[in-house]
Amino acid sequence: MKALTANRLIDGEVVFWQAGQWVERFADAELFEGDAGEDAVAAAKAQPTVVVEPYLIDLAQGPGGLAPVSYRERIRALGPTNEPTHGKQAEGGAAIAALQAATGAARSTGRVDLIRRK
Amino acid sequence: MYRYDAIDREFLADRAAQFRDQVVRRLAGDITEDQFKPLRLMNGLYLQLHAYMLRVAVPYGSLNPAQMRAFAHIARTWDKGYGHFTTRQNIQFNWVRLGDAPDILDHLASVDLHAIQTSGNCIRNVTSDPYAGATAQEVDDPRVWSEVIRQWSTLHPEFSFLPRKFKIAVTAAETDRTAARAHDIGLRVLRDADGALGFEVMVGGGQGRTPYLAPTIKPFLPASRLISYLEAILRVYNRHGRRDNIYKARIKILVASLGAEEFARQVEAEWSKIGEGRDLPDTELARIRGEFVKVPFETLSPRSAGFEAAQAADRAFARFVRNNVKAHKQPGYAIVEISLKAPGATPGDASADQMDVVADLAERYGLSDIRVTHEQNLVLPHVKLDDVPAVHRELAAAGLATSNINLISDIIACPGLDYCALANARAIPVAQSIQDRFADPDRAEEVGELKIKISGCINACGHHHVGHIGVLGVDKKGEEFYQLSLGGSGAEDASLAAILGPALPADKVAGAVDKLVETYLAIRHDGERFLDTFRRAGMTPFKEAVYADAH
Amino acid sequence: MPTLIRRTGQAFVAAEDVFTDVADEDAIPDGPVILSLTRFQAEGDALVTAGRSVGVRIQPDEAVEDLAYDLPRLALVAAVFPKFRDGRAFTTATLLRERLDYRGEVRAVGEVLRDQALFMVRCGFDSFAPADGATPSDWAKAAGLFRHVYQRAADGRAPAFEERG
Repeated sequence: MKALTANRLIDGEVVFWQAGQWVERFADAELFEGDAGEDAVAAAKAQPTVVVEPYLIDLAQGPGGLAPVSYRERIRALGPTNEPTHGKQAEGGAAIAALQAATGAARSTGRVDLIRRK
Repeated sequence: MYRYDAIDREFLADRAAQFRDQVVRRLAGDITEDQFKPLRLMNGLYLQLHAYMLRVAVPYGSLNPAQMRAFAHIARTWDKGYGHFTTRQNIQFNWVRLGDAPDILDHLASVDLHAIQTSGNCIRNVTSDPYAGATAQEVDDPRVWSEVIRQWSTLHPEFSFLPRKFKIAVTAAETDRTAARAHDIGLRVLRDADGALGFEVMVGGGQGRTPYLAPTIKPFLPASRLISYLEAILRVYNRHGRRDNIYKARIKILVASLGAEEFARQVEAEWSKIGEGRDLPDTELARIRGEFVKVPFETLSPRSAGFEAAQAADRAFARFVRNNVKAHKQPGYAIVEISLKAPGATPGDASADQMDVVADLAERYGLSDIRVTHEQNLVLPHVKLDDVPAVHRELAAAGLATSNINLISDIIACPGLDYCALANARAIPVAQSIQDRFADPDRAEEVGELKIKISGCINACGHHHVGHIGVLGVDKKGEEFYQLSLGGSGAEDASLAAILGPALPADKVAGAVDKLVETYLAIRHDGERFLDTFRRAGMTPFKEAVYADAH
Repeated sequence: MPTLIRRTGQAFVAAEDVFTDVADEDAIPDGPVILSLTRFQAEGDALVTAGRSVGVRIQPDEAVEDLAYDLPRLALVAAVFPKFRDGRAFTTATLLRERLDYRGEVRAVGEVLRDQALFMVRCGFDSFAPADGATPSDWAKAAGLFRHVYQRAADGRAPAFEERG
């Protein structure tokens, strides 16, 4: 299972693709099975004045629900761990708790791109 | 300190206007992200994990109260009420919107600040001694030369698209508080046998994936020839630095592959062709120098009864003096360090309110002079001994009186994976776990000087290669692991830390540091710091202490 | 068709490119031509001796000093920016003007973007083949953005410390 994420151009906010729109909450993200996300990626890349560098991330079932596999993506979906009142995690609630409860041991599909990019 | 005149101010205004227009064009889709990215980086704007991060230049770590208040204003107006001071004496704001960046640059320009070249493949903020102008140790005021280099390197047309970033540090005192040898160019101000002023020029230092200490390329460069020699170095680098592999693009790789001697020969050959045409006229040098000499010190007795009485009366104040207050060249004055490493806080962070307190104290008690150190702390370089107790009281009320400068809890940590898109692991929680373990200030003082430096990735923004204990976060199969190294130093006794052993999981790091400290305390000789004991005893006792359980 | 932009003094105008950029494997046509350095070193002498208008294309890793003796007879030197991030052509242009005393046309080719206009002008470029559809007016604006500069460069513009007198 995957989701499509990017940073919003105007403010750098982490956003997720949801049926042609960009949403701020991971809980609202559209889910893709297998290759189903490739069309969305193409559409996202055609929006250079809306988002920067869209890419797919791997998800897995955690104790509280679906969460990104990599902790880097969970931090993007939550906010900085040193300041619980900053970022998306400040909203609290079940969806946030699910992300916080998740752990992962595999590498994010975004990782390889990241290293080459720098 | 250097005061901007109309020309400097017009320059900042033009730069802010240029960037505003570039943002407009980017938002309209007139330039691609690929074309825009170097432009925003050359104005210090990174796209990080949660938002844009703006790195504002604090030229050679020097600020006045109006500028610190501007940081507080920016933090409140356009960020989340705080800022982060860095290992290059800059400040970073973590929650900036691209849409607001032009307004922030305008506000910075109004107090003679900017974010010019704080990122990008160009010459970055020149760093220097935070005690400049206050320490008796200095041969000359390094801020003079830092300002000379700052101006020369600003929008240098030939050297704005180098193979990679370029960092210069200037030190002028026996004690190197700049990590000069770990820079692309380190300049040590000195005098030759006849008393003439000049520089030892060190080229090819750098941290990151392959750390190097800079060899000395020229033992004595006459001061008046600084600019032409820098041009020669940069030209050789611009032409011959590698551009095929970003991990091999720094000048340190070029110097290492040519060898210091051949590199020096190439620079010398280029320099002789450049001649004196690019050197700064004496009048301009004198003008810049003049900006730094006018400090209105009062003539005071070297001893202050109030200062001494306060230490006798108040243990907390005495501890503060022991750790945070340093000798000043002017009788009756002191250098006061302000730790941004309070227990439980994020290392290097200051709230907007705290920034205002520091600005206020500098104005009332500090001759309006504030410095940022490359160890993520602040300094009031000119405080009367008589006033130190009052300063301490007000710092304490603002949570700024942690008495731990250079102690184990004075940890340097990059923002790490909590904020940074480049990171492999978090740095802040590891720093906090070590601080927790050593929260007892008596124990911290018993341990003495111990510089722990933590980086969340190989880019080494936490300077882990020059930590007495260096900690490097790595990603091992999606989990955060930390590789410890020992024996690094960024001071005049520069050395690169050596790896202790296999990386440890996050929850084992504080315990490992504990074992390292225990080992040190058990085998140290009189007067030895942790670093000294390590250099004498070697890796073995420390490695055994940490990894014994594995056998 | 990308317009060539030429600078005279502070003004930027659209110009017709009379030169043909000749690849190493192609035959050399009539009229003004731009050859690679290696091709020029092989065949260029005959062309300039015959009175042809010849330019040389310098790649970032080529030493412009190798042209020193031929420069007086060259109509143009084109310094290549293969990617806009590759700043070696700034040094090439600087050396042409300051060290080799070249007075002919120095042209920026490759990934030439308007946001580098100021740097290019200051390094001694006087013509530009823009890669981003920029107009002469765009270039005039970009090159004229800064009322002051801090350092000496090939353009001889007075740095701030000279303005202060």
